[in-house]
Amino acid sequence: MNYVFKFPDIGEGLEEGKIIEWYVEKGQSISSGDALVKMETDKVVTDIPSPKSGIIVQRFGAIGDTVKVGNALVEIETEAGEATMASASEPAKANSTEAIDEKGFGVVGTIEVAGDGAYLPSSNEGIAIEQIVQTKSQKVLATPVARAMAKERGIDINLVTGTGPAGRVTSKDIEKHRSGSEAVGLVQTPKMQDAAPQTEHEFVPLTQIRKTIAKNMLRSKQNAAHMSVMDEIEVSELVTTRARINAKLQGTKLSYLPFIIKAISIALKKHPVLNAELDFDNERIIYKKSINIGLAMDTDDGLVVPVVRDADRKSLIQLADEIALFADKAKSRKLSLDDMRDGTFTITSYGSIGGYFAVPVINYPQSAIFGVGRISDKPVIKDNAVVPGKVMPISMSVDHRIVDGGEVARFLNFVLEMLAEPMLLLAYEGGER
Amino acid sequence: MNYDLVIIGSGPAGYVAAIKAGQTGLKTLVIDRKYIGGMCLNWGCIPTKSILESAKLFKRIKHGASEFGISGFDPDGLVFDWAQAVKRSKSIVQKLGRGIEYLWKKNGVEYLQAEARIVSPTEVEADNRIISAKNIIIATGSKPRQQNSFSDAMELEDFFSLEQLPEKPLLFGRGAIILEFAQFFSMLGKKPIIVSTGLPLIPKLDDYLEAYINKRLKKDKISIIPQEELGTIDGKLYHKDQPLDYDRAINCNLREAVLPDMNIELELRDGYIKTDEHYRSSVPGIYAAGDVNGISYLAHAASAQGVAIINHINGVVSEPQTNYPINIYSDPEIAQLGLTEAELKAAGREYQIKEMGLNANGKAMTEGASEGFIRLLFETKYRQVLGVQIVAANATDLISEAGVLLELEGTVYDLARTVHAHPTIAEVFMDVSQEGLD
Repeated sequence: MNYVFKFPDIGEGLEEGKIIEWYVEKGQSISSGDALVKMETDKVVTDIPSPKSGIIVQRFGAIGDTVKVGNALVEIETEAGEATMASASEPAKANSTEAIDEKGFGVVGTIEVAGDGAYLPSSNEGIAIEQIVQTKSQKVLATPVARAMAKERGIDINLVTGTGPAGRVTSKDIEKHRSGSEAVGLVQTPKMQDAAPQTEHEFVPLTQIRKTIAKNMLRSKQNAAHMSVMDEIEVSELVTTRARINAKLQGTKLSYLPFIIKAISIALKKHPVLNAELDFDNERIIYKKSINIGLAMDTDDGLVVPVVRDADRKSLIQLADEIALFADKAKSRKLSLDDMRDGTFTITSYGSIGGYFAVPVINYPQSAIFGVGRISDKPVIKDNAVVPGKVMPISMSVDHRIVDGGEVARFLNFVLEMLAEPMLLLAYEGGER
Repeated sequence: MNYDLVIIGSGPAGYVAAIKAGQTGLKTLVIDRKYIGGMCLNWGCIPTKSILESAKLFKRIKHGASEFGISGFDPDGLVFDWAQAVKRSKSIVQKLGRGIEYLWKKNGVEYLQAEARIVSPTEVEADNRIISAKNIIIATGSKPRQQNSFSDAMELEDFFSLEQLPEKPLLFGRGAIILEFAQFFSMLGKKPIIVSTGLPLIPKLDDYLEAYINKRLKKDKISIIPQEELGTIDGKLYHKDQPLDYDRAINCNLREAVLPDMNIELELRDGYIKTDEHYRSSVPGIYAAGDVNGISYLAHAASAQGVAIINHINGVVSEPQTNYPINIYSDPEIAQLGLTEAELKAAGREYQIKEMGLNANGKAMTEGASEGFIRLLFETKYRQVLGVQIVAANATDLISEAGVLLELEGTVYDLARTVHAHPTIAEVFMDVSQEGLD
């Protein structure tokens, strides 16, 4: 029996991918789990393994082609006796549940659950896509005949301006639309050609990563009620402590980031609403049991957010090692979906590049993001005297729908206290009194 | 006296326009020389329907009651009390007239009972004063054309003042009213004759309905005599060597415009005020709505035009209405909407017609009203319904469903998938549309 393997929904909300490299040829024999194709998705570059053993009967798509989720990738002649899931020989339609149902194949299964937190902000894209689908499926007001005419003429009735009562699309509007669009085509095409050499605009198609970033940023801004707090903290003590630790360390040296992660992890335990998300549809708050800290990282392709899992249970050195590993992977674009999912809180250390205060965008649907600016030498007042100090600016945004101002202030006080006096990290590590 | 709008005539065009004008904040004055409501309310639509109902009930009791299991009276001893029938109709008219006055008052519309004369494009003279108006609507209606075949013929306007009904009325003219009047007399056991001034008897009706009417009149033993077949011998009217046997002639002639007195010159078309698609006359600021513009003789058409004019004055763009149902309150009623078969043919459209009788419909049978049919005319490509014709006891109400269907460009598919309650006569709509599916 022949089995058509469709490009699976390997992460929530993933819509399409680009074929980078084929690993199989027509007629080639493959085993279940063998890599079929290398795909660039809006999250990562990843290998798609075969869910079946058998012989490749056909490959769909050439290198560089964009494949929608649910579209056929390969047709496999499966070995006798092996259960087949489908024998459909027609190219699959989008939104196939069959592909999603394909659990149990090791790697696919893993990829399938991956997906969240890849970029800042990211995660549950599924929600957004569901909304888009709903918008599209909402019936435009039109007369039955107008619908039939639009269908027959291949006109998207959603694009037709209705002149009937309440904007109803009538048969006349369809007639007008057709002649209208023809006219537009004639007039506008030469205009565009004329305009191009004069203005010298360059039209660059969005990369998958840029599309995702754009979508996620917009979704965050549209959904979360952003509220930001900024503060400064004198960190001379932290600077000294870090230097002293690094003097003793072999291998990876500590940056300030592990200290910040540590302080935040400790504070999140005391302020769980900052490690939560609002599930508005179901009228509840989801408190996350794990503390998984996403780290916004700048790459040539765009922003990525690998996630340090269970940050509260890791030592400063372990955190430092993990950060270094992620930084390498991000640079070489080797972050896996697994590296980027399940974040519960995000830190952006924009100060490593530049900037003092910022208004960071929440990594939706998380409820908070913590931003660190560049540490500067500044005059501070200590014991009634102006003295030189090391001042770290911080900027934090929260989703005011579930996080109140008082809660942020208390959280920040606690975090900043630990950063001002890093020995407190030892005191609070593992739990408070 | 300065007004945004002066409306001359208070019939269905004038009074509806006035209410709409008042609602949209125009300072409005209505002038009518007679009664509020015009012909429609005072001696047209409403009173004729009232006396027709009296006649229908009379006939039903006399000829149908025993079949329904009602006895204990002598059908031959039944008496039609014309004076009471008129009294009933007048009380309805009064109530409706008061309703209009109330609506005018509520919306700030002023009313003046007087003869009006247009003295300039912005001035009307009435009640010995000059009234200034930014806009004028002429809504003076129409009346049956004068005739000279019958010197003693009475006008419809005077019909309700008759003390006694004629036994052998001669109805002279054409149109829906002649059919209604003929059946009115026939139902009361009188012997009406129709002298038709032209054929078809009812203009604008589909040939199929016209044929049905002829059949029905034959059954009612009402003869139609074409006017040209009349001859005169010794000053007496003869038809095929037979002297015309009638005791009262009633003028039911096709109608002609009633033009207001005016000092200005308005362009006319066949005696009616010529208007454009916004019902503007040839003089800026002066509109004409209703019968007087010759577009339609239907009260609901007049009202729709009145509203369209107010929209135009207010700069509101509204698509002109074209689908006016033609309703005839005959026995059974007749209703038509949209295109006729002849119009479909002339337009070169591919069409199909499906018809279904009421004789298998449960509700119609229980009511003893199974005479009639529903007829759908639809184009074959999308199966859009373009015309609907109904003969049924309640056809004039049934047609409203077709009105929505045509307004929304509905197809036989939409009609077929619309659940119609059982038992209803409207079910026939669903049944006939199912015949029209592929």
